[in-house]
Amino acid sequence: MKKLSLKGRDWKSILSQNKPVIVLLILIVAMSIMNDRFLTWSNALTVLRQTSINAVIATGLTFAILIGGIDLSVGSVLAICGAVSAKMVASGMNIFLVILLTLMLGLGMGMVNGLFISKGRLQPFIATLGTMTLLRGFTLVYTQGKPISIFGSETSAVYSKIGTGYFLGIPIPVYIMLFVFVIAYYILRHMKIGRYTYALGSNEEATMYSGIKTDNVKIFVYGISGFLSALAGIIVTSRLGSAQPTAGSGYELDAIAAVVIGGTSMAGGIGTIFGTAIGALIIGILNNALNLLQVSSYYQGVAKGIVILIAVLLDRKQRTSR
Amino acid sequence: MDEKIVSMKNIVKEFSGVRVLDNVDFNIYKGKIMALVGENGAGKSTLMKILTGVYLKTSGDIYLEGKEVNFTTTKESQDMGVAIIHQELNLVQDLSISENIFLGREPVGKSGKIKWKQLYDESKQWLDKLGLNESPKELVKNLSVGKQQLIEIAKALSLNAKVIIMDEPTGALTISETEKLFEVVNELRSQGHSIVYISHRLNEIFQICDYVTVLRDGTLVGEKTIDELDEDKIIEMMVGRKLSEQYPRVNTILGHTVLEVKNLSNKFVKDISFELKEGEILGVAGLVGAGRTEMARSIYGVYPLDKGEILMKGKPVVIKSPKDAIKEGIAYVSEDRKSNGIVLGLNIVENVTLASLDQYVGKIGKINKSEEEKSTDSYVKSMSIKAAGTKQLLKFLSGGNQQKVALAKNLNTNPKILILDEPTRGVDVGAKKEIYELINKYKESGMSILMISSEIPEILGISDRVMVMHEGMVTGTLDIKNADQEKIMSLAVGKEVS
Amino acid sequence: MKKMKKALVLLLVLLLTVSIFGCGGNGDEGDNGDNGDGNGEDTAKKIGLVVSTLNNPFFVDLRDGAQAKATELGAELIILDSQDDAATELSNVEDLITQGVDLIMINPTDSDAVGSAVAAANGAGIPVVTLDRSANSGEVEAHIASDNVAGGKMAGDFIVAQLGGTGKVVELEGIPGASAARERGEGFNSALEGTEIEVVAKQTANFDRAEGLSVMENILQAQAEIDAVFAHNDEMALGALEAIKASGREILVVGFDATEDAVTSVQAGEMAATVQQLPKEIGGMGVDTAMKILAGESVDEYIPVELQLVTE
Repeated sequence: MKKLSLKGRDWKSILSQNKPVIVLLILIVAMSIMNDRFLTWSNALTVLRQTSINAVIATGLTFAILIGGIDLSVGSVLAICGAVSAKMVASGMNIFLVILLTLMLGLGMGMVNGLFISKGRLQPFIATLGTMTLLRGFTLVYTQGKPISIFGSETSAVYSKIGTGYFLGIPIPVYIMLFVFVIAYYILRHMKIGRYTYALGSNEEATMYSGIKTDNVKIFVYGISGFLSALAGIIVTSRLGSAQPTAGSGYELDAIAAVVIGGTSMAGGIGTIFGTAIGALIIGILNNALNLLQVSSYYQGVAKGIVILIAVLLDRKQRTSR
Repeated sequence: MDEKIVSMKNIVKEFSGVRVLDNVDFNIYKGKIMALVGENGAGKSTLMKILTGVYLKTSGDIYLEGKEVNFTTTKESQDMGVAIIHQELNLVQDLSISENIFLGREPVGKSGKIKWKQLYDESKQWLDKLGLNESPKELVKNLSVGKQQLIEIAKALSLNAKVIIMDEPTGALTISETEKLFEVVNELRSQGHSIVYISHRLNEIFQICDYVTVLRDGTLVGEKTIDELDEDKIIEMMVGRKLSEQYPRVNTILGHTVLEVKNLSNKFVKDISFELKEGEILGVAGLVGAGRTEMARSIYGVYPLDKGEILMKGKPVVIKSPKDAIKEGIAYVSEDRKSNGIVLGLNIVENVTLASLDQYVGKIGKINKSEEEKSTDSYVKSMSIKAAGTKQLLKFLSGGNQQKVALAKNLNTNPKILILDEPTRGVDVGAKKEIYELINKYKESGMSILMISSEIPEILGISDRVMVMHEGMVTGTLDIKNADQEKIMSLAVGKEVS
Repeated sequence: MKKMKKALVLLLVLLLTVSIFGCGGNGDEGDNGDNGDGNGEDTAKKIGLVVSTLNNPFFVDLRDGAQAKATELGAELIILDSQDDAATELSNVEDLITQGVDLIMINPTDSDAVGSAVAAANGAGIPVVTLDRSANSGEVEAHIASDNVAGGKMAGDFIVAQLGGTGKVVELEGIPGASAARERGEGFNSALEGTEIEVVAKQTANFDRAEGLSVMENILQAQAEIDAVFAHNDEMALGALEAIKASGREILVVGFDATEDAVTSVQAGEMAATVQQLPKEIGGMGVDTAMKILAGESVDEYIPVELQLVTE
């Protein structure tokens, strides 16, 4: 009796873990039927490359949401890091130094978020709303409202390869995205800090009572979110060949959508990188599909909203049924 | 034989296939007080929740004044005159007394405006009846817990309740408040109300009850009149064995002093000093709010100290966080398992190693999962943790097994000192004994144990010494040889004991 | 099991949603794609139009003009919205390339950032025409735009004339870095040169009406004396006008674009003037030029579209 009910739960959990995958597969099949351009190698690469930016941000956000927090500042961090890196590239700085410094900048800004939230005891929503606005302002001041071109130095050519280049016929941002997924998966599944991330999101007090410095975990998590936003900033800047002062505004919403569609609970403690990867792909394919199907941009928002709601409803259904 | 007002017959209740009540009969007699006793998890609350319509019974019949009834909501049972006063009071702290009494049934005029005068007048009548002279406009949050309890009774009376169920009503009351409550209860009985009195405090049952029904593990052990019983008999009925068997005592030779606490003071506790020896169990008794948990957490580094010193093996140590405490060899098993003892969203392995993950980290920061598994397996075996596997999430485990996992998590940090805060709260009788046996095992292995408990028999059963606290201070320490329930209670309420 | 069924039902709803919206766009697109590859002569030309944003009436007009012209000339027009985000713009262009369009018209969100998008189209061998804003890099067949510098000067000259060559003016700037903002500002300031007119405040309101309102409110607080306001577009001008009305002060407001709201306002005597761009003309001219390019005719690199001042 007991064994049977357990089996049922396992079966259900397998289904629930794969639910986003089912949504994804159905989307792909449906699109392939509706548009013959969709299922081509070149479109697949296009979708993956377009998805990479959101996917990288969403991976960072997965950490923040797993601990029951949120990071609204990702888009602004992306913008300021993009701008700073563009300026460094234009000045001809060594490419590795540019990347290192940009990523460190993102990491630092993320950790500041973490400090506000842990030591300053601010609500994550409020704290990152603040830094989001602040950093957007900084970006405008720093760029004087003008885009910063990356061209004009020897570094430029190499830098622009990050977003536009190919390796073995596959766009480099796709490799970056996969690399980020693998590392994030490793951290969450196999490292101490990953375990603490889940523990913190599920029960902060018990985690603290287990002798874990929860403040440090938070700072680390928001640091990762900032770090990956900076990485996304590098990809965007490199793809566009210039850093836009308004780059990344609204990106937090697509990233949150990807994380949530991937089955991560906004309450924290539950979620996987695999889910986020699928969620990001769903959003990416949806954007691509709606364009290919020539859905009017006004209706695109409606369609995307419906898909997000359905995905989340599916998730909720499963959770209440437990 | 007295007239039955409520009669429940062959009640069965199953939760997802698990039978928690098995063919239980239960009667309430008109104008009498029925005590309902049993260990935690015996099924008392479930039975009462079925009577009041919170849960639906799986099978069985309920008769109220001879007629068969089947309540599906608490509203229905209230309308029929059955009211329940829960252990956690259901009062809205920021509303007034009268607003609470009439919450959801405020007298309103045609325009929908509340008739405040009527509201206050009627409330006043009920308050008078219970001997309360508070203004009906007083906010509930300004009342003591004891008075809040009486407000709940006023609410029940205003509902015209014929049957009033009281779940652990004296748990948080002072002695004088308890006496006041008993007066009211006696008065209600003489007016013909029928009462179900759920309590762990056997002396109270002998003070006011007429009948006793004992449940154990979801089955009826028996219904007796109070004259047929004494405390030992009730306990025997409750636990199904003699008291001495329930608390297996082992005697060890005490070693050196391991922990010394000197003049510990902060905003919760004052001037706490004690010593703990190798292989010793020091029981900590006291009423709710005496500061026992706060003392433990202050030692564990959760609350900062204003003053005082903690010495481990004679050397002073600085503990500013649980992390420091664990490093010094102090472990704390929380009384509030779900909020800070375990992580419900993690599985057994992840919980067991949570406080000691450093041991398992290998190259490139990778956790050695097979080592984790090995440690966990050994706890699962030695503690006989019942689960479908080590990967089962904690939220699917029973209270007793959760508690064992919490214990395992702390033991895995290799502590010298184990602080147990209400280690058997919410744990069923069978698992309780297993936990006592585990505690004894650790004691024999030389661990020093500080055990906080509100169950005096438990303290008397397994401690070597008893420290009693009252209002944040230690009022006395007794050797187990000359400790008894009365002495502990006297110290717990702040009286001197010779 | 039951849960599974429910999930499937929900997914079906999702599919339906996507397909309904999908069909709403252009039903027979799939068929076109099948035989449109090899031989373009017999089937309609497929032109992609990437618009910087469709939240602004100006670009909606531009789209309408293009659509009307496309219908007239029998071309198929695929319209995508970049929502003022350069990365979205790049994605849109990539998606158009996937669809195998014959030509892409881009109304860039930013002249620098559009370079990658143009390069992508170039790489796929698809000709590019830019509308309204130019591209700073990449190969562009033709650029069609209002002469913004001339328009800015037109507005400046009007203010100079109205104020009699002396006074204090405020300039509300568009999205920093946008070429329209730069050029209009440049034209406007060149008109003021050599006059007694002083620009007392110069701030951006991002081409947005709500921001125009709040920025103007702040300026009104700060500046005791203001004679005229020049806004880089009508949206900001109308926002500023609300702020001025609320303050009860008499200030000349000149906008740019001559949107419907602005023209109504000018006719009601509230705004003093607006420089009329002809967005429909730009869109139409774009399609016109595109068809010429596809027919193998040569076109000018820059095709200016006329402007006119709308006054009461």
